Amino acid sequence: MKPFARIILFLCAVMMLTATVDLPDWADPGSPASTHLSPGFIEQGYHETATPNVVTAVLADYRSYDTLFESVVVFAASLVVMLVLRRTSTGTSRIKHFRPKREGRDTILRGAAQSIIPVMQIFALYVLFHGHYSPGGGFQGGVIFGASFILLSLCYSLKFAMQRFKEKMVLICCACGALLYAGIGAVCLAMGWNFLGYAGLAGLLGVTDVMARSHGILAVEAGVGITVMAVMVSLYYDLASGGDMEEGL
Amino acid sequence: MMDQTPVFIIAIPLFASLLLTLIGPLGPRVAYGLLIGALSLSLGASLATMVRVVQTGQAIHYYMGDWLPPMGIELVIDHLSAAVLVMIGVCALLSGIYSMHTAGQDNHDRLNNYYALFSLLVTGLLGMASAGDVFNLYVLLEISALASYGLLARGGGKAYFATFKYLVMGTIGACFYLLGVGYIYIMTGSLNMADLADILSRESLQESVSIRIGFTLIILGIWTKMALFPLHAWLPNAYSRAGTATACLIAPLMTKVSVYIMLRMMFTVFSADYIFNQIAWSSLVIYMASAAVVLGMITAFAQRDMRKMLTYIIVAEIGYMTGGAWLANTAGYTGAVYHILADGLMTLSLFMAVGAIIYRTGDTSANAMQGIFRRMPITAAVFLIGAASIVGIPPTCGFFSKWYLLQGAVQAGAWIFVAALLIAGLMAAIIFFRLLEAAFFGNLDDEGLSVGHSAPHSGTGAVQMREAPLTMLVPLAVAGAALLGLGIYTNEVVTYLIRWSVPAGF
Repeated sequence: MKPFARIILFLCAVMMLTATVDLPDWADPGSPASTHLSPGFIEQGYHETATPNVVTAVLADYRSYDTLFESVVVFAASLVVMLVLRRTSTGTSRIKHFRPKREGRDTILRGAAQSIIPVMQIFALYVLFHGHYSPGGGFQGGVIFGASFILLSLCYSLKFAMQRFKEKMVLICCACGALLYAGIGAVCLAMGWNFLGYAGLAGLLGVTDVMARSHGILAVEAGVGITVMAVMVSLYYDLASGGDMEEGL
Repeated sequence: MMDQTPVFIIAIPLFASLLLTLIGPLGPRVAYGLLIGALSLSLGASLATMVRVVQTGQAIHYYMGDWLPPMGIELVIDHLSAAVLVMIGVCALLSGIYSMHTAGQDNHDRLNNYYALFSLLVTGLLGMASAGDVFNLYVLLEISALASYGLLARGGGKAYFATFKYLVMGTIGACFYLLGVGYIYIMTGSLNMADLADILSRESLQESVSIRIGFTLIILGIWTKMALFPLHAWLPNAYSRAGTATACLIAPLMTKVSVYIMLRMMFTVFSADYIFNQIAWSSLVIYMASAAVVLGMITAFAQRDMRKMLTYIIVAEIGYMTGGAWLANTAGYTGAVYHILADGLMTLSLFMAVGAIIYRTGDTSANAMQGIFRRMPITAAVFLIGAASIVGIPPTCGFFSKWYLLQGAVQAGAWIFVAALLIAGLMAAIIFFRLLEAAFFGNLDDEGLSVGHSAPHSGTGAVQMREAPLTMLVPLAVAGAALLGLGIYTNEVVTYLIRWSVPAGF
């Protein structure tokens, strides 16, 4: 089987290298990708969405339908991992996990965690809410926020982290983040605009259409952030404990 | 309200899926009710959209977030996607209703999460069928793929390994698709299907190697996803080891929607002229399709396990549709599209019938079929209709799709495909005759025969009529009736839906 796999890999490599003969040069300003749609986004993006970061405007407004489903992909991942791994421990499991015992007091580890985690969480919120102006947004902010909980359970224990952020709560956050996103879309629809047409929020918030889009972007980014954060934690809980939520790494 | 129906088709199952994860404490009945309610509403929206498409005679464009197409994302529902959407809605609703007993059996705990994934899979499929943007299609492809991995792995035991294989193959397929879309984006700067079609028809891009390789990658990715013959190895185990409810949902829909994507890519994004004159692979693809048809049927014949047999029949059916699409004429295309609808229903009714038989007998091998007509007459009748449709016997829809495909193959002079179709029909007849003989007369093997002869009265007297529960029987009966109905109204389906979507240049 191995030589056969090599032949296939070789053919794929040849095919992909051949494909590059026609491609425009790196960073060619005349390439179709930079002349077809990009000028429109760059020139009108700010006037239409009041969001200086064009990437955020494209991600969360022009193509927000994609981003909705990207956050749902993340949500689906946690659901799948939970369905496959999660089981209620009966004490008769054939698989015995090796779990190193912690001995002594991890003063330095815990002290460091205590001082890092709050800063991480504030930074995560900054990344999330500053997505309009600088690189950042829901996905990045959510990952940093989720990592803070993983750090907590690594430095203390899984049980300790789960007392503070319960498994049930994690699952609720997973669904609610995506629900917030889709809910914003549904509110716009109820206000007589198309699904995810944030201008529909203008009447509710008492602002202009353009500002409503900016606020809509913020709200959906928050939804993405909540989902991504909760999914990070949920995946960690399931994978680290092998699904029984007894004790992790 | 009416012009918002396209988004309801997708948003309702999405909301249902998100809510289903939250309502765990309310118990399985509420979860089941929510799922069925959402699927029915979504089907209603699909039907309303289809009626509008047929009445106005043109595609509906729905602009997500009120952004006009090349900048924003649009949903496009034309005649082809309307038909596929309704097919998905019907199959999903029927298998949802059907799942009441079997899903509970397979999922002792976390049934609501199982249903959430169920609903998410339907969302993904509906989204793919209505997408008007190649990247959006990829995102929904990922959603439906992820959901199907979770659902199939829920079969436990051997299903884990089979699903892992499917996961690896499915991910490779999705990567190929995405890579192809990437090449095409670099060359055109657009992701919207209509806009892409416009740009790709320019003289300068017709000869481009990058575009050609982009197309190759996309098609290879889709073929992996739809399990076309040399790439089909993941399918039989993944589908036959899944739980009954899962198999009933996934087996009819996943591969059919992949065929739909192939048609979309070939004829909406690229054009018939590009596919058949510039690329000119069609003779090779027809050989592949013929091989899929014949080898799928032969392997199906060799199976003892009923569900495994059905999964190999799916492999053969994929060959029918692929061959039809690459015949490059109207009859072949009509046959391929009609077969998407017909095969969805056929596979659904056969999987549901076999699932009901397994539910009652607890046996997955062909032995379970013995005396089924006496014990489960309605299930057996639906199985008979489904089998007749796979073989291609007139009043059922399977006959008409095969008729169109044969016509197309003869017109195109693809004699190998004609031969493959005829051989496959014969093979299917033998496969099902063997099963139905056992189902009628109760003897499958020679040993069984001798037992039957020595004590005929004990065999007949002991058999009790024990039909499947009503929640399984009703969707079964509806699916069986739909097979006949679709066959009887073939002319209408072709005139009002399929003929409109025949690509220019045929």
